[in-house]
Amino acid sequence: MATLVAENLTYSYTKKSKPALNKVSVEIKPGTLTALVGPNGAGKSTLLKILQGQNAPDKGEIKIDGENLNRSRSLIALMPQRSSMNWKFPITVEKLVSLGQIKYSKSKSNTPFQIKALLANPNAWINKCCELEATMQRVGIANLANRRLDSLSGGQQQRALLAKTLMSPAKIFLLDEPCAALDPPAKEDFLKIVRQLADVGLSLVVSSHDWGESLNKYDQVIVLDKTVLAVGSPDSIKDKLNDINISALNENNSLN
Amino acid sequence: MSFINNNWWLVPLIITIFSGILCPAMGTVLITHKRLLQVNLISHCVLPGLALALALGIHPSIGGVISGLLGSVIAESLTNRKSENYEAIMNTILAGMLGFGVLIIPLLGIRIDLEAVLFGDLLTANFGDLLRTIIAFLVFITLMTFGYEKVVYVGLDPEGASASGINVSLLNLALSFTTALVIVSSMSAVGVILVIALLSTPTLLGLNKAHSLRIAMMRSSFFGLCISLLGFILSIVFNLSPGPAISVICVASLLIPKLSQIIKS
Repeated sequence: MATLVAENLTYSYTKKSKPALNKVSVEIKPGTLTALVGPNGAGKSTLLKILQGQNAPDKGEIKIDGENLNRSRSLIALMPQRSSMNWKFPITVEKLVSLGQIKYSKSKSNTPFQIKALLANPNAWINKCCELEATMQRVGIANLANRRLDSLSGGQQQRALLAKTLMSPAKIFLLDEPCAALDPPAKEDFLKIVRQLADVGLSLVVSSHDWGESLNKYDQVIVLDKTVLAVGSPDSIKDKLNDINISALNENNSLN
Repeated sequence: MSFINNNWWLVPLIITIFSGILCPAMGTVLITHKRLLQVNLISHCVLPGLALALALGIHPSIGGVISGLLGSVIAESLTNRKSENYEAIMNTILAGMLGFGVLIIPLLGIRIDLEAVLFGDLLTANFGDLLRTIIAFLVFITLMTFGYEKVVYVGLDPEGASASGINVSLLNLALSFTTALVIVSSMSAVGVILVIALLSTPTLLGLNKAHSLRIAMMRSSFFGLCISLLGFILSIVFNLSPGPAISVICVASLLIPKLSQIIKS
């Protein structure tokens, strides 16, 4: 189990530009499913990349179980946005998923911590999560193993990408708009899978534009628009939404 | 040696075989990485390096590879593929470098057979050309042997590859270097301009329904080899220029299946 705490994260893409994130503090507890919602340009993807360690914040710090992010980066995995993938690439689902195991980091310092964390975890499935077949079965794509990636539907592709992300030995999974461009049944299906993953002890953060009913499926909701506007359970967020000043909130808002 | 001297067609034939296998394999990597425009860029950027190398008394291939790589690095430093100006900047540098090459040839007082450089002169190829092709072939095989997984990962998911610790910029530089080497090595076979046909057409045929990059490369190489050999034979039989002949066969290999489909329907 791993708890991620980020405090006062501030980040600008260039020195002269306005901060994409301003004093953002979040806490991700073990075994929780967190929704990270906000309008376009709110900084959701930026925050996920910083939490994963791809980008370094200008200010603030990130710790996992009290350890600095640099020492425990392998405990966090990021599932990128759909648009960053080359879906036409000639590859089978099985090969895509197996790529999730690859780590080329030169730093060896993570290894003992990683093994220690894995051994300390009693959950059988998490120990098995590095196994290709188990992971594909878990997300319901075992029967698609030999299919070419571009022959899958959008929902199946997202599940394959999730399986690839789950192949890493991470405990905290950051999913960048995984439901974008999915039809409602595929989206429902995807959220059911991530709910199951959270129930077996993994921590998942799912970024989304969706302010609707699906927020009820999460344990925690973080409303972001450059800074954290609200954090809490879906019910408590509903009450706060009226006080939150987000221009895009009026669009597609079916919470109330 | 006397056997080779008595059989003038042997060295061109071996070059045809190597280029026919190498160019489509490289093209498969580049097309799946969406870097085909870079091939065009590098092929046009080769000329100033060739000219300068000749003037300095260095082997022209070395100059060609360096200037091709330099053009690629300059373009990548000015733009990135997500930029809306990407194609415009790439084409500007492409034209500028070619123009620079044409400008400096008379200024340096050197003589280059531009037609042979741009469109190839396979039937007069010599051992030096063969050696260049074999070096490019070996560099490509080395890249694929030690970096295949990384090439797949970066082509599929550059962000994920970067997050997993792959140095994406270094890999792209290695790809640019190998591309420049392949283009320069194909100079005698099809020329630096017409090489684009051998890099892309067999790949279009080979990529269809391939379940892995490796299979796609092998299929593309097979089609490339057939096209190159056919072009070589037709050039000898009908006394044609091999580079343009191979390019025309590339187009025909795309059109004939479509035409037969139309006729059948």
